[in-house]
Amino acid sequence: MSTLEYFEVESTEPAGGELYRRIASTVITDHNLLKVLERLRIFIDPAIPIFIAVGITRTMPRMITVSDLAGVTFDEHKITLSIADETYLADLLQFLWKKYGKDHVNQPDRFTIEIKTVGDAAESGIEDLAVADPSEGLYKDLIYSLQVICPEGYKVKKQNFNNGRFWFIASENTLPEDVTSLVAGQFEIMEAAP
Amino acid sequence: MILVPITYKGGVFRHDEILDLIEDVGGYIIQKHMIAQEVVLQALVPKEDIDTLKKVSRPLAGEVIPAPLVGTEIAVVSMSVEIHHLPHASCDIAEYLRTAGAKTNMIGLARGFGKRIGLLSDEERDIINEHDLAIYLFGNFETCIREKMPTFRRGIKVPIVICGGPSKDALKKIIDPPAAGYVGGMGRFMHRTKEPHEIALLDEIVAEVSRVIDQKRAMIAKDPLSVTPARLMDIILENVPDIHEVTSPVPVVVQMDGIRVKLPYDPFAREIREIEVEEGIRIADICDLHPSRMRDYILLKVKPFSETGMLV
Repeated sequence: MSTLEYFEVESTEPAGGELYRRIASTVITDHNLLKVLERLRIFIDPAIPIFIAVGITRTMPRMITVSDLAGVTFDEHKITLSIADETYLADLLQFLWKKYGKDHVNQPDRFTIEIKTVGDAAESGIEDLAVADPSEGLYKDLIYSLQVICPEGYKVKKQNFNNGRFWFIASENTLPEDVTSLVAGQFEIMEAAP
Repeated sequence: MILVPITYKGGVFRHDEILDLIEDVGGYIIQKHMIAQEVVLQALVPKEDIDTLKKVSRPLAGEVIPAPLVGTEIAVVSMSVEIHHLPHASCDIAEYLRTAGAKTNMIGLARGFGKRIGLLSDEERDIINEHDLAIYLFGNFETCIREKMPTFRRGIKVPIVICGGPSKDALKKIIDPPAAGYVGGMGRFMHRTKEPHEIALLDEIVAEVSRVIDQKRAMIAKDPLSVTPARLMDIILENVPDIHEVTSPVPVVVQMDGIRVKLPYDPFAREIREIEVEEGIRIADICDLHPSRMRDYILLKVKPFSETGMLV
């Protein structure tokens, strides 16, 4: 966990906390979140019982546009896309079918997509259209991994992810309506640390 | 005749000689696994014939290893079958106990998680009670183990070995009345056990389980069983042809005080009851037959000498 600037697991039972530190470390590594996380703090009190995780992510990857994954050429009423990266090809096809209709989108081979346009193809502005948002998957991965780290009996959960700051709180009992103070306390400790 | 539990590992070539030898000296083969070119036998062999077996197996490059848990069926009880508890530590522990000769069954509880909400159903309790011993795999917090333990031991009649994150001393302190055995430092974890100190902990589990099993063996020896379960297994295999049609790797499971026959209860229980063990002695005279809560298998529990007045 050397790439995290701050990583702390605190518990009212220090021995248990130490074991949970190892669990958190394994889960974060397994889910490839090391590069994404900058700071992470987990607090567990099994007596209440409560599990609070707060953290900050590094700069989020921006939206993926058509020009990021394909070379674009225009020929009057035809746009030709030469796919360079297949990662988001399925998303791209879905997007093109929706925008231009299936009749106008043709894929003669694996790496080529041809689109028939009504007006001048060069003016379509297709290069800058957004295809996928990688941060969406990242948020799901992050919350999923915190659910895996958290003790299994803690079934009542709340989470939030906003502007690179996230928190996850869980308990076996009902959670208070407003958990802001609990979360803010942990953010304060994390941010005060060097 | 004292039967010693052993594991034999060797090649497929001429392994039938080993099978014949074990049967000729009056031993029993509990399990036989053929993995590619290797044969693994779990057997009970008379103590005085162990040296002969070693001598015969030497030219075949076979190995005779003491396996203290051969002839036992152990329940590895995981608090759930979620990613939190599987595959590590549950599978790692169950698999390691198999190397010591035990037949392990993993029992994933439906609602075992949580200190307040954790529950043990009737069916789960009965299935655990069908085993010789249960290993409870708890989590990492003392508070949780202390609070949930009374729920999970209610109605359990077999010895319980507790595995948990806190140290062995801490586990002893928080569990009252005491359990049969404890292994500390083996709670919830998400990685595979491969470091030396983790393997040492797995060895500790085997040692602790063996200690508890030995205590149970000593208790049984005070009032011996009317027939050894291993012999009962042989009788079933000889007299019930349908058992050879069962696709399960171990169609008859040997326990310390009985056997589990993997045939449906209704069509076969009557037939099994009437099988003669020796002239004039039927299985029904020396065993209790029950329908198992595990699928619809048949569970045979051998009556002790004090009840039947005979040793077969």
